[in-house]
Amino acid sequence: MKRNLMTRATGIGLALALGSACMAGCSSDGGGGTGDSPETVTMLVLGDKPTNGRLENMLEKLNEKLTEQANATLDLFYVEWADWQTQYNVQLLSGDSTIDLITTATDWLYAWENSQKGAFLPLSEEMLQTNAPKTWEQVNKDGDWELCKLNDGQIYFIPEDNYTQWTNHGFFYRGDWAASAGIPDGTITKFEEFTAYFAWIKENKPEAYPWDASATSDAAATLTGYVQGHTDFQTIQQISAGNYYPYSTTEADPYTVSSWLMEGDSIIEAAQLAKEWNEMGVWREDSINYDGDTREEFYAGLTGTDQHHMQTFVTQIVSNMEAKQPGSDPKMFYWGQENGNYFRDIKTHGAMAVSANSSHPEKALEVYDLLRNDQEIYYLLNFGIEGTDYIITDDDKLGFPDGYDSSTDALGSNFWGGRMDEFEPDRTTEAADKWDLYASLDADAKDYPYTTLLFNKDAIESSLAAMSGVLAEYMPQLGRGKYEDPAAAVAEMRTKLQDAGYEDVRASLQADMDAWATEQGLK
Amino acid sequence: MATQTIQRKDPSPVVRQPNRSSKLKQLGHSKALIIMCLPAIAFFVIFSYCPLPGTWIAFTNYNFRDGIFGSPFVGLRNFEFLVKSGQLWLLTRNTLLYNLAFIVIGNILQIALAVMLNEIRAKYFKKISQAIMFLPYFISVVLIGVIAFNVLNYDTGALNTLIKETGGDPIKIYSMAGIWPIIIIICQLWQSTGYGSIVYFAAIMGIDDSMFEAAAIDGATAWQRIRYIILPSLKPTFIILLLFAMGGIMRGNFGLFWNLVGNNATLFNTTDIIETSVYRMIMSQNNFTSSTAVGLYQSLFGFALVMTCNWIVRRINSDYALF
Repeated sequence: MKRNLMTRATGIGLALALGSACMAGCSSDGGGGTGDSPETVTMLVLGDKPTNGRLENMLEKLNEKLTEQANATLDLFYVEWADWQTQYNVQLLSGDSTIDLITTATDWLYAWENSQKGAFLPLSEEMLQTNAPKTWEQVNKDGDWELCKLNDGQIYFIPEDNYTQWTNHGFFYRGDWAASAGIPDGTITKFEEFTAYFAWIKENKPEAYPWDASATSDAAATLTGYVQGHTDFQTIQQISAGNYYPYSTTEADPYTVSSWLMEGDSIIEAAQLAKEWNEMGVWREDSINYDGDTREEFYAGLTGTDQHHMQTFVTQIVSNMEAKQPGSDPKMFYWGQENGNYFRDIKTHGAMAVSANSSHPEKALEVYDLLRNDQEIYYLLNFGIEGTDYIITDDDKLGFPDGYDSSTDALGSNFWGGRMDEFEPDRTTEAADKWDLYASLDADAKDYPYTTLLFNKDAIESSLAAMSGVLAEYMPQLGRGKYEDPAAAVAEMRTKLQDAGYEDVRASLQADMDAWATEQGLK
Repeated sequence: MATQTIQRKDPSPVVRQPNRSSKLKQLGHSKALIIMCLPAIAFFVIFSYCPLPGTWIAFTNYNFRDGIFGSPFVGLRNFEFLVKSGQLWLLTRNTLLYNLAFIVIGNILQIALAVMLNEIRAKYFKKISQAIMFLPYFISVVLIGVIAFNVLNYDTGALNTLIKETGGDPIKIYSMAGIWPIIIIICQLWQSTGYGSIVYFAAIMGIDDSMFEAAAIDGATAWQRIRYIILPSLKPTFIILLLFAMGGIMRGNFGLFWNLVGNNATLFNTTDIIETSVYRMIMSQNNFTSSTAVGLYQSLFGFALVMTCNWIVRRINSDYALF
């Protein structure tokens, strides 16, 4: 029996359908509110949308104020942490016209790429002066609009340039254990001193791992931590290959693009140290597959070390450790501490852009100006409702009401694109010596030299993707000391990186670097 | 063979008439069937055919301003990274071999399971065992990854604890690349076999009872009934499922592989498939063009394979071909 045409067609159709699942975004147009009723401005933020009802209560109050002052209301659109890297860009790609303000950043949220790809509305000076006058004035006073311009001379986003934070990474460790390990004052001042600290924990604290490193905590931390403190390599933050930043310059030769992955022996020394640690049993044998919450383990005394940045240390680690491990004397050793090879946060580590598809960009800027500069509105958005979400203590610190539990009661508005130092009181939960820590960091820190340097990635993206494949294979293994012969593994990795196009990318970056340095009068 | 050749030359003379108006009439007769098909047809048109032009993005340097068809054409540049990374062969090989194993072993087990279920006479035992075999299908691959880690890891895993307690030396399973194909295949089969057997079970239910009755009269044993009635009756189902599976042979089960292996590069040689590798390479690159390029490569490969297999099947027995 032979089937008829219909079945044939359906069959071929089915096969085609099975074989094809390439989906592409469709764009849509939508209109914004006009007339007398308040216009809704939607702001895209990153983070998990809270479900405790506090955000909604805050927004209700906030929107009363916004309606009064700008005839507008604010709505938040969340890109949640699960798969945020993909979701964030897909959201911009879709050209959703209901989103007006977009949280962005040049170092971790693709601000330059998305500006170049046309996701953000170019902001003219007049537009900013008219609709966000206070913001315009403050950023202009510091000369920071220059940090937000593409080669076409247009401003594409508003920097969070008036907010002090330190996101330089390092190890959190316990001063009490370090002192017992014989480290003077219980303060580690060199990367290698961790060997003694780890050895003491291994010997004396059988229930704890010296460093229960997990798969998700930067697998290459051992390498970057060592290299940063032993060389003057400066990572170029604009160029990533997967989870890694392969290119760098040196302080001595700041306009020549090179890479610590490819040059010198520092990476081999670091990998050898990692091997030593691996053999000591610093982390669990299967740490590359381990997904546990090492922060909670640190609080519970089950790991002697945890890895993240200064901001986490100041705002969470100190208060939690003091409460959960009294007498543990938590400390932080940050990468580059030995030789002052670390940077201040760039001023575009947080920023706010207006969507190119926004149906009312002027209103969005007007609302943003209030969020950033009106103290009452700022407090509502960032801290919530006084009395239920926060309290101001007698010594003018920001504290929390009785029974408040930050893990379930957090407001979660995640406004990271325009915080202001003058509206940020010290928290009761912050390290008491926060300002001393900041001052000591500030004393040695360097300013990132390449903030305004834009690289053209069009021609190098495929090589970077190929390189990231190689790095994903070698870096976690090197960082966890899994190779019998680290030097041979590094040599192998270098060959494969060359094959993946390392030199082509380097030459392309160098050309951009030269042009930029000449234009800036640096070379 | 001879009858088949004749059939192909002179197809179903009783049902079909060789002119067009009769074809339309035939469509008219099948109205009810066509209406029932409509939701499925609409589904494929909307979700598989409408986005097809979007694959053009794989050949462009996409930007938001110019859109999919306005962005500059760059030829095959978006496909380059797979070749440059030096892994194309390894990834293609792994993906193909895993899928072949899943398809072949999976189908054999599913058929075996369906036949066994059919032979069970105790009603409640049958229902309960069916439900238990069905359950793993609903367990998330994230959980499977966690379960596997808790059973297999070196320091605290159940298996190694057992080995240590009985005086043996623990095994570093997460460093043994050779053993992982077996672990992955077992996990995949554990998850999918019960669910997959339903189709075969349904096919067995659909076999004409009179055949079994005739066999019983002839004194056929249970084994002979399986060998000469059930298995031959399952052949068309098997071939159709096989052809469908071929279309996806270049697509890996990303969730399962990612959750079992993750970033453990020691195992990549035997466990890295196209999906996991591409995910690692371009997840933070803001790069839709490259991912579309990879999707297109997989789709075209799958399409070619389906067409080839179907052609082969049609040559052997046209009744079993999809089209």
